[in-house]
Amino acid sequence: MNLLSRSSLKRLLAALLLAGVVTLMTGAPGGYGVPAYTGLHGSFLERVSYFGLFRTQRWFLFLTLGIIAWLVSTYYQRHSLTIRRRLEPVMAIPTQVMQRRTNRWVLIGLVVIVTIFIPKLVHQQFWMYLIVEQIGVWILLALGLNVVVGFAGLLDLGFAAFYAIGAYATAWFTGVLPTPAPFNHPIPTLWCIPIGVGLAMVFGIILGIPTLRLRGDYLAIVTLGFALIIDDFVGTQSGLTGGGEGSLTVPKFAVHVGPVHYTWGISPTPYYYLCFLFVVIFLIAFTALEYSRVGRAWVAIREDEVAAESIGINPLKYKVMAFAVGAASGGFGGVLTAGLIGNINPTLFQYQVSVNVLILVIFGGMGSIWGVAIGAIIVQFVTSYLDNYQPWGYQLNDLYMYIGALLIIMMIFRPAGILPSRRRQREIQSFEVDHEGHLDEVLTGDEP
Amino acid sequence: MGFAHFWLSGFDQIRTGFWAYFAVGLENGSLYAMIAVGYTLVYGVLGLINFAHGEVFMCGGFAAVFLTHGILGDRVANGWESVFLILAGIAIAGSVSALVATGVEQVAYRPLRRRNAPKLAYLISAIGASYFLQTLAGKEFGYGQNIFPAQVFPAGQTMFFIGKTPIHTIQVVCLVVGTAMFVAADRIVRSTRLGRGIRAVAQDSETSALMGVNIDRTITLTFIIGGSLAGAAGFLYALQNGIVQSSGTELGIYAFTAAVLGGIGNLRGAALGGLLIGLFGSFSVPFAFEGNISWTEIYTFIILVLVLIVRPTGILGEKSGRTA
Amino acid sequence: MSEDLLIDVQQVTLRFGGVVSLRDVSLAMRRGEILAVIGPNGAGKTSLFNSITGVYQPQEGSITFASSKAPPLSVIGKKTHRIAQAGVSRTFQASRLFSALTVFENVKIGAEDHRGIGVAGALVKGPRTRRGEHTSDKVAASMLRFVGLLDESNTVASQLSYGARRRLEIARALATDPEVILLDEPAAGTNPSEKLELTTLIRRVRDERDVSVLLIEHDMKLVMALAERIYVLNFGSMIAEGTPEEIRANPAVIDAYLGSSTEETSA
Repeated sequence: MNLLSRSSLKRLLAALLLAGVVTLMTGAPGGYGVPAYTGLHGSFLERVSYFGLFRTQRWFLFLTLGIIAWLVSTYYQRHSLTIRRRLEPVMAIPTQVMQRRTNRWVLIGLVVIVTIFIPKLVHQQFWMYLIVEQIGVWILLALGLNVVVGFAGLLDLGFAAFYAIGAYATAWFTGVLPTPAPFNHPIPTLWCIPIGVGLAMVFGIILGIPTLRLRGDYLAIVTLGFALIIDDFVGTQSGLTGGGEGSLTVPKFAVHVGPVHYTWGISPTPYYYLCFLFVVIFLIAFTALEYSRVGRAWVAIREDEVAAESIGINPLKYKVMAFAVGAASGGFGGVLTAGLIGNINPTLFQYQVSVNVLILVIFGGMGSIWGVAIGAIIVQFVTSYLDNYQPWGYQLNDLYMYIGALLIIMMIFRPAGILPSRRRQREIQSFEVDHEGHLDEVLTGDEP
Repeated sequence: MGFAHFWLSGFDQIRTGFWAYFAVGLENGSLYAMIAVGYTLVYGVLGLINFAHGEVFMCGGFAAVFLTHGILGDRVANGWESVFLILAGIAIAGSVSALVATGVEQVAYRPLRRRNAPKLAYLISAIGASYFLQTLAGKEFGYGQNIFPAQVFPAGQTMFFIGKTPIHTIQVVCLVVGTAMFVAADRIVRSTRLGRGIRAVAQDSETSALMGVNIDRTITLTFIIGGSLAGAAGFLYALQNGIVQSSGTELGIYAFTAAVLGGIGNLRGAALGGLLIGLFGSFSVPFAFEGNISWTEIYTFIILVLVLIVRPTGILGEKSGRTA
Repeated sequence: MSEDLLIDVQQVTLRFGGVVSLRDVSLAMRRGEILAVIGPNGAGKTSLFNSITGVYQPQEGSITFASSKAPPLSVIGKKTHRIAQAGVSRTFQASRLFSALTVFENVKIGAEDHRGIGVAGALVKGPRTRRGEHTSDKVAASMLRFVGLLDESNTVASQLSYGARRRLEIARALATDPEVILLDEPAAGTNPSEKLELTTLIRRVRDERDVSVLLIEHDMKLVMALAERIYVLNFGSMIAEGTPEEIRANPAVIDAYLGSSTEETSA
């Protein structure tokens, strides 16, 4: 094990840089009326006690960890084949388990039973609210974005905008914004579902048709710009949207059909079941979509657009369709959020929210409906925990830093997500095999 | 206020204050052009939009804050000291940004290039890098807090007058530095060996690899050129406007629009597009409706969408014969 | 113009920037024939295919596709998928299958009607959707039987052998119910026995499926065995046209091939 070889020293440098970055990431924040360098200063020089054993400056700890990481990675490099061979079966377990039909049904059954009884198991209202608002709604958002990113292979960074459109449409039509409701006639919140969904879809189609004709990355930047503008708009047009305060009084959902009268009140449990119902509907609907002619056409387009066209598929039409379905789901999530929380304000719809939804899709596995649902639960649970308890110097605003890092890590190490979709995995593998060796072997002389 | 009246008064403001708007337009345009160069060069060699490029620019701005405060403290510089500080600032902010740009390339792009990942993976990883840098800067320097460098020359200093319109030093500096750096970048790409490498990779990376071009090094150098221009732009931008973690995304979209307008992949197009977007943004200011929303942002966005509809290849871009 | 003309290419010129890829190329294909286009590498054969299928837009000339079911279609300026829906199907030089889908799905997707919207249908699964699914299942199965891949239905496309992939691509193209199928070097990379199979298959495509065949091929044995007429392209221009015997004896053709014989042997 040659620690002084070129590649090993490179790795040492990388480990030290990484240690520095982590020191910064976990350190004290700077800013707000203090000299600009306090953040850096605090991150590196702050003295902390470790389990009461010893006290040292922060940088020292991370330097040590960096060196340990380097030693471990050198060891791993040496034994990587053995380790990988041993790890492979473990890593493949989730996929294997899910591939067995009986296992899948048993698992689904268990999940359904547990989910039904969660309100009985979770006694704190706080956690119930969290489950509904931070997990339930976000599963729906993630499933919707998954159609765009996972099925059609388009990067949509404007999801927050459609989410906002749905929510503000609800507030507008129920008459709780400073602007009067259309025709001065407020309508019940539940009726806003088709309106919010439809409106978001229309915006999606208007934005999608010119952009989707072009290369994929244009869509990403145009949707990002759109989200920025909507974010700006709802925050500053106080005459129309209530500005920074938004609206606090969106009416609750209520059903009045014939003899049935029911209003969702203060308790989170009824909302929980409402969300649960919608998640089940989304799961069934999108699974049907994936294995329909539309789903197959999406696979064809994202894999090879020219070949797809040659068998009569119009790529633009299917891309707009996927984009519209995504936008509609975003709008749906918006209506639901407005009706659940009752108060909406611009912080819920910052343009960064799009990336928050994106990480749920990427982490779970693009194109894998179950993966996305499970990924959304895990990621949202962790982030809500971090936001509410703020352990280990975590700050509220740090969220997108970790999300950004996680996006890169996922792309490097597990691009198909934790529970890969079978189609996606095959595709990524065959893509990489097809292209293997014709460019990069020429490029990289010094790879081991 | 009637709608017609609104437009008329807008035109009136432009008529009376033409040179002031023009100067601001050129100032911003130079900055956009410098950032757009990075988008266009990376697009050339890698065939993708470097989403983290706005953050590369932002790092240059923060470098400006540290450098100027470190040297000047709270003093205001003047005379030759100003000249020295501007040159040093460009050099150091440019280097910091070039470093960040190569870092982004090494971490977010290179591992994917090694295994020829699909394009979507690059985009996602670039978005990740962008958010990571942006939020980290927010954490270290104050989230949403606009911080200013020390004054390299007195703020609002006027250099000369056109008619009755004062032209500020910063405006002249932006235009001069922008032009000089753009010309330098253009020369490098057009007439050096490295530049030939960049153009070869942009045309056909496989063939150029076979012809002995070191692709890894070419790509790194591309990021360095783009990064140093963006860093210099960040320095100049911060002198005038201060810097905040979200500046990168905002200016990034302007500069990207500029690159697309000029014809993405075309270096001179980036400069042209940058100036046009700068002027356009400046002259659209009188046409802001009520509210403190950024109408320039909205107008620029509309321009972007219109360009994509009408002529996605941009002004100087070649119209290709293929539809796919 | 004779009555049974299927594809009529008239004086087509295609340029990329300053490079002329096709110069004044004309070609007349009759309904029901097996027609081959040959020529050295870079002669513009694939460009011609791409022009006929709407992937490239030639600057000059006209291309007409005379369908038996619809009025003649002027191809230039039309989108690829429109042309495909009108009845022109194709395969690619390096096979371009959908590697994430199974063999069966690859063919089924060709058989499906891509004209409606489909989202609502997929969600509700009304009788029409079900009938559509049923029909395309049947078509896909019969196409797979036709090319002899029915047993591989559930294999993932990327795991097939090279020859099988070429056959699958033909099945996918046939599933779109075309009147003419354009085969771009169908035998490239296959071994001699696979080549023989392909020759038989291509002839059966015309004889049993009643689909006209336009093919590009390097393998002269295959071309001479299959084609009823041959066009020869060289440096973007059509230099000869005729029956295999005429082509074999044509001095211009021999010249073109001898001039690039080194390229040919390496290809």
